[in-house]
Amino acid sequence: MELTISGIAKRFGAVEALRGVTLAVQPGEFFAILGPSGAGKTTLLRIIAGIDKPDDGTVLIDRRDLSQIPVRSRNTAMVFQTFALYPHLSTFENLAYPLREARVPGDEIKRRVGEIAEMLRLTHTLARKPGTLSGGEQQRCAIGRALVRRPQLLLLDEPLTNLDAKLRHDTRAEFKRLHRELKTTTIVYATPDQLEALSMGARVGVLNHGKIVQVGTPSDLYEMPGDDFVASLVGDPPINLVPGTLRAGAGGPSIDMPFLGLDAAPWRKSLNGFPAGTRLKVGLRPQAIWPRGGSEKGPVFPARVFLTEPLGDVTILDIVVGGDTRLRMVLPQEQAYKIAVNDAIECSIDLEQVCLFTQDTGTAISRAGVEAAA
Amino acid sequence: MANPSNRPIGKSGWGRTLGAAAVSIVYFFPVLYIILTAFKTRQDALAWPVKFIFTPTLENFVSVFYRTTVEGGAAEATGFGLYFFNSMFIGGTSVLLALIIGTAAAYGFSRFPLRGNETYLFMILTTRMMPPIIAIIPIFVLFRIFGLSGTYVGIIALYTAFNLPFSIWMVKSFFDDLDRDIEDAARMDGSSEFRLFRKICLPQVYAGLAATFVFAVILTWNEFVFALLLTGTQTRTVPVQIVRTIGGAIGVDWGLLSALETLFIIPVVLVTFALQNQLLRGVTFGTIRR
Repeated sequence: MELTISGIAKRFGAVEALRGVTLAVQPGEFFAILGPSGAGKTTLLRIIAGIDKPDDGTVLIDRRDLSQIPVRSRNTAMVFQTFALYPHLSTFENLAYPLREARVPGDEIKRRVGEIAEMLRLTHTLARKPGTLSGGEQQRCAIGRALVRRPQLLLLDEPLTNLDAKLRHDTRAEFKRLHRELKTTTIVYATPDQLEALSMGARVGVLNHGKIVQVGTPSDLYEMPGDDFVASLVGDPPINLVPGTLRAGAGGPSIDMPFLGLDAAPWRKSLNGFPAGTRLKVGLRPQAIWPRGGSEKGPVFPARVFLTEPLGDVTILDIVVGGDTRLRMVLPQEQAYKIAVNDAIECSIDLEQVCLFTQDTGTAISRAGVEAAA
Repeated sequence: MANPSNRPIGKSGWGRTLGAAAVSIVYFFPVLYIILTAFKTRQDALAWPVKFIFTPTLENFVSVFYRTTVEGGAAEATGFGLYFFNSMFIGGTSVLLALIIGTAAAYGFSRFPLRGNETYLFMILTTRMMPPIIAIIPIFVLFRIFGLSGTYVGIIALYTAFNLPFSIWMVKSFFDDLDRDIEDAARMDGSSEFRLFRKICLPQVYAGLAATFVFAVILTWNEFVFALLLTGTQTRTVPVQIVRTIGGAIGVDWGLLSALETLFIIPVVLVTFALQNQLLRGVTFGTIRR
């Protein structure tokens, strides 16, 4: 099912929840909507689901206006963040409810609920009420109730938020498997967690303050964030944003950071319109900073280790550079074990992984040969 | 008492249990005294100091239904069976009616708010702000004009009207507390507005309805003033009959009175007991997250 959203606006009193959202989701695509809480994810999903009406804009499903399609023939299902199971009905009746409302004959209800329960490992809970199920079982029940009608469009609203860490990990894999098995079902998945969005979404739309700020594949978002918001939302640990100033020089433009001067040659074309002295933000991924090791891909600078956070396979280092600028870097354990707090080290930056943003609007400045996806 | 919060429920220390028992006895003593008196002979009932050990008798319960008049002669039926039926029939019917109408109204107020919804709700509440007795004269006159005095229809209609505000407010609060996502889910599952009410919302507030039912039954069961003025010999309720039993030529018959009251207590206790689990859930509704 193809989903086309254009110019959706919605306000609740003085709050503008959505401010002109435009999106196109391909048939069968796993599309993730990533945004912090309050960005408007739930409002957007509820509008796509047809529960709420937008103040402005249209939702087209297979090129038909959603508001013209009766609820019964919409073929859309939604999994709510709170699961919204029917507390007075058993698991079986919860799963059967959409079929009963669609007047499916009893035998078929039995068969289809049985299938779904089997697939989601809920068979042993069929006689029980939702209140007695574990978190994971409740969540699978909510998914089962959405899937039992074989929807063409499945909307998932932060379905993993109410689960514990281990279950969340397992369920991520489950969703990908489910999507593969369902083949034709289009999935729109809203989450505030960049890890969920990047690991599951074929494409990710980033929502901020009721607007889509960037749509792209996970690697697009990671490597070419359209602005500093996307850059700081995507990636773990979050990107370092360091203030910099543009300098014109004889050999071309350069960027002054408090601890380092950076050759701005890769951005020369895009920087043409900016006068010298323009304030910029330099985005340095923690993964792009390395201790000096002989094969540097960029400039080298001294640093002092302020804090270490060993996470097992990797260690996150907080380093202080140029007086009081703090940076984060990530090192594999085998390189990190010999570094202690307060050590003086030398680091280098992989210039190819550096992103540049304007100070005022935060818009990305694209490199030569790369068109920023925005 | 090292760690009271970790003590399993039902495993309190003896000190607390006895303390609670003592408090309970103070509260329960009047009821106990009435029940004991119901089984005493006239001599035992008047004995001083109070007798707690005595030979029980059922004669009071017999005289509830059949007793001789003061002048003597054969025992006559007192009509108590009818009054007892009246109390149950009038109370049950009016509470049920109020609950049905109240639930429909409450769902409307909760889910389809009118312009000025709060004002309507407040107006409904104001009818409970004054003592009902204030309205006794107009109601009495109305009953006379429409010939409702002494009829079931009249007293049932009146009790229904008195129970409605309470039912509406109580049931509305239960509907207000429901998780709206559940209704949206049902809407997406294809439920019509009526099915939403009947299959999704109503079953979720059953406990609340039971609690409302019990509270309203107790209030109605107790009602005396309107019953005294507006029921006739055929529609008389038990509270009226109890008062009529007080007095008489040979002084108050405490044993008989206590037997009446003992019988009067039983239905309310049974209803409350049957619905106790629902009652507890209904009273704590919304305070404990599922």
